[in-house]
Amino acid sequence: MCTMYCPRPVVDAYNERLEITRAPHIDYAQAIPSSYYIDAKACLRVNFETCNLCAQTCTAGAIDFSQKPKNLELEVGAVVLTPGFGRVDSSVLEKFGYGKYPDVLTAFEFERLTCASGPTEGHIVRPSDNRPPRKIAFLQCIGSRDETCGNGYCSSVCCMYAIKEASVAKEHEPDLDVSIFFMDVRTQGKGFDDARKRAQEKYGINVIRARVPRVDQVDGRLALTWTTDDGKHHSGIFDMVVLSVGLESPEDAEALSKIADIKLNNYNFCSTRVDSPLSTSRDGVFVAGAFQGPKDIPESVTQASGVAAIASELLAEARNSQTVSITYPEENKALEEQEPRIGIFVCHCGVNIAGVVDVKAVRDYAASLPGVVLYEDPLYSCSQDALKGIAEKIRDNNLNRVVIAACSPRTHEPLFQETLRSVGLNPALVEMANIRDQCAWVHAQEPEAATEKAKDLVRMAAAKARLLTPLEQPTVDVTPGALVLGGGAAGMSAALSIADQGYSVTIVEKSRHLGGNLRRLQWTTDGQDARKVMEDMISSVESHPGIEVLTGSTVEAISGYVGNFTSTVSQGKKNRLINHGVTVIATGAREYKPRSYAYGESTRIVTQLELEEKLARGKSFLKNARNIVMIQCVGSRGDDMSHCSRLCCTQAVKNALKLKELKPDCRIYILYRDMRTYGFHEDAYREAREKGVIFLRYSTDKKPQVIKQARGIKVRAFDRLLGEEIEIPANLVVLSAGIAPGDNQELSKILKAPLTPEGFFLEAHAKLRPVEIAVDGVYLCGLAHGPKSLEESVAQAKAAAAKATIPLAKGKVAVAPIVSHVDQDACIGCGICESLCPFNAIRLSKVGKRKKAQTITASCKGCGICASHCPTIAISMGGFTDQAIMAQIHAFSGRQCDEG
Amino acid sequence: MIVTEAARQLLEDCGVDRERLALEWASAAEAPRFVELITGYVSRIREKGPLGSGPDEIPADVVGRRLKAAVKAAGARKPRTLLGKLAKKMAKEGDYSRDAISKGVKAKVFPAMRSVRIATEVGMILEEGPADLKKLCSDTGASAEELEKILAPMLKKGQISRKKDSFSLSS
Amino acid sequence: MAKENAVTKENEMTQEGFDPKILGFFCHWCCYAAADSAGVSRYQYPPNVRVIRVMCTGRIDARFVIEAFRCGADGVFTGG
Repeated sequence: MCTMYCPRPVVDAYNERLEITRAPHIDYAQAIPSSYYIDAKACLRVNFETCNLCAQTCTAGAIDFSQKPKNLELEVGAVVLTPGFGRVDSSVLEKFGYGKYPDVLTAFEFERLTCASGPTEGHIVRPSDNRPPRKIAFLQCIGSRDETCGNGYCSSVCCMYAIKEASVAKEHEPDLDVSIFFMDVRTQGKGFDDARKRAQEKYGINVIRARVPRVDQVDGRLALTWTTDDGKHHSGIFDMVVLSVGLESPEDAEALSKIADIKLNNYNFCSTRVDSPLSTSRDGVFVAGAFQGPKDIPESVTQASGVAAIASELLAEARNSQTVSITYPEENKALEEQEPRIGIFVCHCGVNIAGVVDVKAVRDYAASLPGVVLYEDPLYSCSQDALKGIAEKIRDNNLNRVVIAACSPRTHEPLFQETLRSVGLNPALVEMANIRDQCAWVHAQEPEAATEKAKDLVRMAAAKARLLTPLEQPTVDVTPGALVLGGGAAGMSAALSIADQGYSVTIVEKSRHLGGNLRRLQWTTDGQDARKVMEDMISSVESHPGIEVLTGSTVEAISGYVGNFTSTVSQGKKNRLINHGVTVIATGAREYKPRSYAYGESTRIVTQLELEEKLARGKSFLKNARNIVMIQCVGSRGDDMSHCSRLCCTQAVKNALKLKELKPDCRIYILYRDMRTYGFHEDAYREAREKGVIFLRYSTDKKPQVIKQARGIKVRAFDRLLGEEIEIPANLVVLSAGIAPGDNQELSKILKAPLTPEGFFLEAHAKLRPVEIAVDGVYLCGLAHGPKSLEESVAQAKAAAAKATIPLAKGKVAVAPIVSHVDQDACIGCGICESLCPFNAIRLSKVGKRKKAQTITASCKGCGICASHCPTIAISMGGFTDQAIMAQIHAFSGRQCDEG
Repeated sequence: MIVTEAARQLLEDCGVDRERLALEWASAAEAPRFVELITGYVSRIREKGPLGSGPDEIPADVVGRRLKAAVKAAGARKPRTLLGKLAKKMAKEGDYSRDAISKGVKAKVFPAMRSVRIATEVGMILEEGPADLKKLCSDTGASAEELEKILAPMLKKGQISRKKDSFSLSS
Repeated sequence: MAKENAVTKENEMTQEGFDPKILGFFCHWCCYAAADSAGVSRYQYPPNVRVIRVMCTGRIDARFVIEAFRCGADGVFTGG
């Protein structure tokens, strides 16, 4: 109402100024807090004491102009800085015609254009004439890797976001011609290289390796010229140019650094050390997210969890001293037992669902289903105000069953279950129909079929809802200790954090020493002595009273569930049982053992880690070295393993600089595919080039060759600028061998933890749950999750510790009520269920004279093998009863289908 | 896997192409594989045509009764016990090859499922009126010899009665 | 490109011919999750499958499958 009546138009900053809104507005429907706010700069009442329309029209009386700013004083134990990133200055963008030519957009603006709830509802049009463009160019490294604007670093995220935006655009407009101009394609994130490959293959996105210096306008279109690395000049005309702008330090970084009394680095980001990436220069003040350096969502989320762990370490003693617990109204059992009164909420999900599925038609169809007394279509049913609305409607209409036709129960069911609890209904009385992931998103080209499918899914959900019954919400006590698998940098960091938070930790390390891969490193990327970093860590671990270290040990079996695991640890000949509440996987990875480039044929062909070990023993082997050749992507990026190993480019540059320092007159070649010295590592790359390290790019069809001869080694490589093959007599060949997953298969089986196709452990959600896995109570960090730097491993270990401490601190965990239930009268005690249960969660015991099966609620995962194999159909599954599934099957048919 | 195989054999027994029931695996990480599987499966079913239209399939209007009896058979205690025992045995032996499962189900579970299915169907047919052995044979797809074996205990228990060639439900 | 052509072809067939009704039993942890992920990635596939979520394919009883055919399914897809 306030937005509607406000006479004052303002540009919509959330939509990148592409749209107009009013002084009182909400940025987007799911914003938190989900209330409207007034742009004080624009408001007539605030600035000129006129108007007041909004306050008069607000029926809730929620606008109060008499409020004044207040200063608050808070007593806190730790301060966390998460201001995010700033924008690249517009003067940088102007060089590329931004502001001058309307069809030059920033990637942020383009993102809003591609967004279904954005200003053009997802239609990509040129701002100049509102017509769809046919040819789009993305220019990378705008305001990144560019010393002329003071940003020498790489922004790390733009390559991937450009590929994502280009893919979304192609999906929307298959005939679009999209080119992306890269210097290097830096998709070093987990799974990113695969996504890039798919984008290139599936959508035919052109990858051009060149930096475009400027943008000109010719006849209303945009002209680009560029030079490729073979020295050739090119030009092209485009309808739209998207500038992939980088991430800068926040605008108020300097002010913030003064207030918080912390040091900034030379780019005005928060200064941190590799071994403590979340600590600022001031004790008690911590940092997470892009202010610590440019990074993408998973890493920001990881750091955020990590910083929570550090704060929690400091505040361990004060735990639970200021907590407030939620109380729920008592369950209305009488209402639950009444005939089903179903409320169906068909969600628009903005345009995510409504853009394809005819939501109103589905809602009206729902009205015709038996037992339905309420049917509505909220815009975003998961937004805070919609949830409140659903709660009110449940109460006002005496609903006792709820169907939410929206997205996936895997992500959103708990939210709606909570809503039911808040109004005194058992959480098991809600059923979801996934009409977003299973209809709108996957049948986007067939709106009618998608709508029909949505109706069917709603009908099936309603049929099941009628038969839902209230379920008990059991809880079990938690063993207050953690088992950390792996004693490398990640395992030790996680163990220290959990122990510092007041819980006991056992580290199980396969080898005889703590340290893991860190043991082989000589110096860190920020120039610290890696051995010292490791030794400090080891001594902290060993002297910690809360940590027990078992070296030379492996885990043979893990049984139980979150809160109550029992592990069998084998220490050579003897086995030991350990009870623990949570498990942290930090088993690391190993250096890939090259199978090509004549590796193993000469002591002068080594891997980067072997080079570091050699250097640690002295530099005499460099005495006669005139030419040193490094080869990147050995084993990685489709060479043998499909993934990018993320670290090797930085490691090669770091080692090249070290070699230059030790032997300035030797010539160093680095043969690479894309130099992926992301973030501040770019400085080292630039330094290496300045110091004369020669970088030659190779493509996979012209891979370098290493030829071992009677007298020395020859490397053959293709020089793109010369356009011919060159031969380098090499005194030393250093192979940047990638990171291969450890032997994770066995552990994956023991823990029932899924692996990625590459063999690393798979996180529960790539972006939102980066340190959890599909199994509750098991957390993941370090190289076991995928290639990453020491700094990233440490941050991730802290994050895993933060997540692992949640159940430990709660002291109790709720068990999902999907467990099996045995009808003791029908059970004949045959024992088939006991022998088939994969979780040992059902056992025979004597009841009276006969043996009867009984569920061990806390172990049961609800798989239902017992139920489907029970001869007398005596076992039913919580939330998935035979009757409910049969009802869904009958509803599926859509016609009368008498009970079979 | 064992349950699926049992269901497939029972479907085949009812005159439904067993390949209409698919069992596939796609992990949480394998969206592309999932899409391939679904797309492939839908197009295979499309080629097969509607239920009952396949070369070895019984027309859809007839197959209804047979499937109804099959559901009963799949829920009956004896075949379920045999299925459970087989699953137990196979879990112990650890051989889950396609062949082993198929053979195991065929030998240990299928005969019981089939006979319950036929017995149930006989009951359903007779509910509509008396019928002779020939009609029962052609309606259930059982051989005369097989049917005699199934009818004998039904007669003995007095569930059905026989007048000359004609069988009818005991009232 | 080939994939897109295949999809169009299928659409044409839909208009002319037989559009099967298929019931899917999807495991919560595997196939259901893969289907979610396919949604998030906006992969497109034919709209013929209606899904019943189960916590594991082990839940699937032969009765369910046969009942589905009895109730008019042209196919049943169980996905672990």
